[in-house]
Amino acid sequence: MLDFLNSQGTIYVSMVLGGVLGLSLYLPLLAGQLSLASPGFYALGGFVAAVLSTRTFDVEGTYPVHLVLVEFVVAAVLCGVLAFVVGLAALRLTGIYLALATIAFVEVLRVFTLNLELTGGAVGIFAIPQPFGTQLSYLWLAGPLLIAAALFTWRLEKVRVGRAFAAVREDELAAASMGVDTTRAKITAFVLGGVLAGLAGVIAAHQINTWSHRQASFDASIAYLAFVLIGGSRTFLGPVAGGLFLTYLPEWLREQAKHEFLPTWAAEFLRTGRFIIYGVLLAASCVFFPRGLITPEFLARIKRIGRGGGRPRGQDVRQPEPETVA
Amino acid sequence: MRLIFQKLLNGIAIGSVYALFALGYTIVFSILRVINFAHGAVFTVGTYLTYALTGAAFGRNGQLRNASLPVELNFWLALVLGALGAGVIGVIVERLAFRPLRRRGSDPLLTLVSSLGVAIAVVNILQYLFGAENYSFGETLGSMRASVTVVGGELPVVVRTKQIVIFVVSMVMVVALTFLVNRTRTGKGLRAVAEDLTTARLLGIDTDRLIRLSFFISGVLGGIAGALIGLAGSFNYQFGVAIGLKGLAVIVLGGLGDIPGAVVGGLVIGVAEAFVPAEYNAYKDAVPFVVLLVVLLVRPQGILGRAQVQKV
Repeated sequence: MLDFLNSQGTIYVSMVLGGVLGLSLYLPLLAGQLSLASPGFYALGGFVAAVLSTRTFDVEGTYPVHLVLVEFVVAAVLCGVLAFVVGLAALRLTGIYLALATIAFVEVLRVFTLNLELTGGAVGIFAIPQPFGTQLSYLWLAGPLLIAAALFTWRLEKVRVGRAFAAVREDELAAASMGVDTTRAKITAFVLGGVLAGLAGVIAAHQINTWSHRQASFDASIAYLAFVLIGGSRTFLGPVAGGLFLTYLPEWLREQAKHEFLPTWAAEFLRTGRFIIYGVLLAASCVFFPRGLITPEFLARIKRIGRGGGRPRGQDVRQPEPETVA
Repeated sequence: MRLIFQKLLNGIAIGSVYALFALGYTIVFSILRVINFAHGAVFTVGTYLTYALTGAAFGRNGQLRNASLPVELNFWLALVLGALGAGVIGVIVERLAFRPLRRRGSDPLLTLVSSLGVAIAVVNILQYLFGAENYSFGETLGSMRASVTVVGGELPVVVRTKQIVIFVVSMVMVVALTFLVNRTRTGKGLRAVAEDLTTARLLGIDTDRLIRLSFFISGVLGGIAGALIGLAGSFNYQFGVAIGLKGLAVIVLGGLGDIPGAVVGGLVIGVAEAFVPAEYNAYKDAVPFVVLLVVLLVRPQGILGRAQVQKV
């Protein structure tokens, strides 16, 4: 059993990090900001870990976990400051313009990390030391990060700052006229998302052992957006579920190719053509589950089932929410 | 001076095809107010189709190992048919990723992801069938000379014939599109739909047909751009991604949904790239995005656009 878990360790850790990255996009979205900057901060966090662990800290043998925590702090500060600066400039934009600006930010960052000597140029940084012996052990870092981020987001939506986010998302002008500092709310949300993505990057850099400019890609931007939209953008559980599920999906498809009863062509298709299936499922879930898999109504129904209530009595007269994202 | 002239010519050649590609984004955006992220994939399909129609064989890594079509068209005919094929792919993309969501009035952001889903599927189908290797068009321009000397003398300014082809074909398409949009009945319909989809439908315009048409035109433009850029160098299944992103910079620079703006934007980005000093060549790919960021922050309506008044 443990052997099996260990052999699957890489994918479990990636799934958990997928959940964290989903949340990193969800946080700005709470304040109505569609930011696709997460891969940039993710890459930056990874480079912090890669540079510090291969150049600054000279450690013999197993890499101590407390140094990873130091990297966490450095990455959080660096991503936070950068997110603050980018946010100040970019958050004057809304909707698709903001999305395009954040895509541009990620691309500029990618080209710089591709060319700077510090970040290892085109090949990137190799042989990043591992604090753990097995892939599965990385859950000791990734698991608490996901749980902390999810709890933080859950609580955030219930306190003053989070309610300010929601007010900005629903109607920025109305929020401002009620005395909400909308700029501050938007930048706070943006910085929180950036820091979270950076922390995920630190873990991922150690876990996959090598880090390069390829981590900051446009494809990743859209993949993380898909985590949120497919998972559901109206509750914090949506992006987490989306991140876990969509990271697992291609791997699961590849696993299925091993079944004996499949004809050769089908197995071959599952191995080399699995991203065709991924793309089709992505498009299909937009069409068939436009509000995501996990919606507030879905959660309410689960709660009712949990209480043994079944369907509520009387007619539900609430209007369903419109199919909007931000 | 000579060097500046040479760089200017190079920049205009590549910029004109950026413009052509970006027009495909623009025509769809002007009507639906969404960016079709599958445009880069349609562009790649156009390149592969044109390549196949010239009778060239595919490599050894895909499912269609060493396959080739039984026809051997010359480049021009292959270009036209390949572009029409890409147009058909564009219509299929609309049917699969746009129409079902539009029918329900979903958020445009979802369309962004669904179009990207289709793009991922299309690009990976290309890889599945034809492998991941690089392809390039052979000596497809027949008996034409490889290059033309614009300014003679000791330090000549030379333009490759392929650059001239790229520029001329791009400009012909731009002019044809402008004529279609501004001077024909169909173009009037397209402009009406772009102005206000609902009102146009109420007035009896078949909006679904015009939306399909806009995707077809978009696909044709993308397909031609793909074949032309493929002609200038080599291509593989992923080469739509980079141009797809550059195209975003072009349309924002020109003002989203603005046809003349997209042309100017394409030329500006092409020339800007060409003028990056050789020692900073590695940073060339960042140029469109730095331009994009600056434009968004300083003049989000684009260089030719007018600021829109935000109504409450």
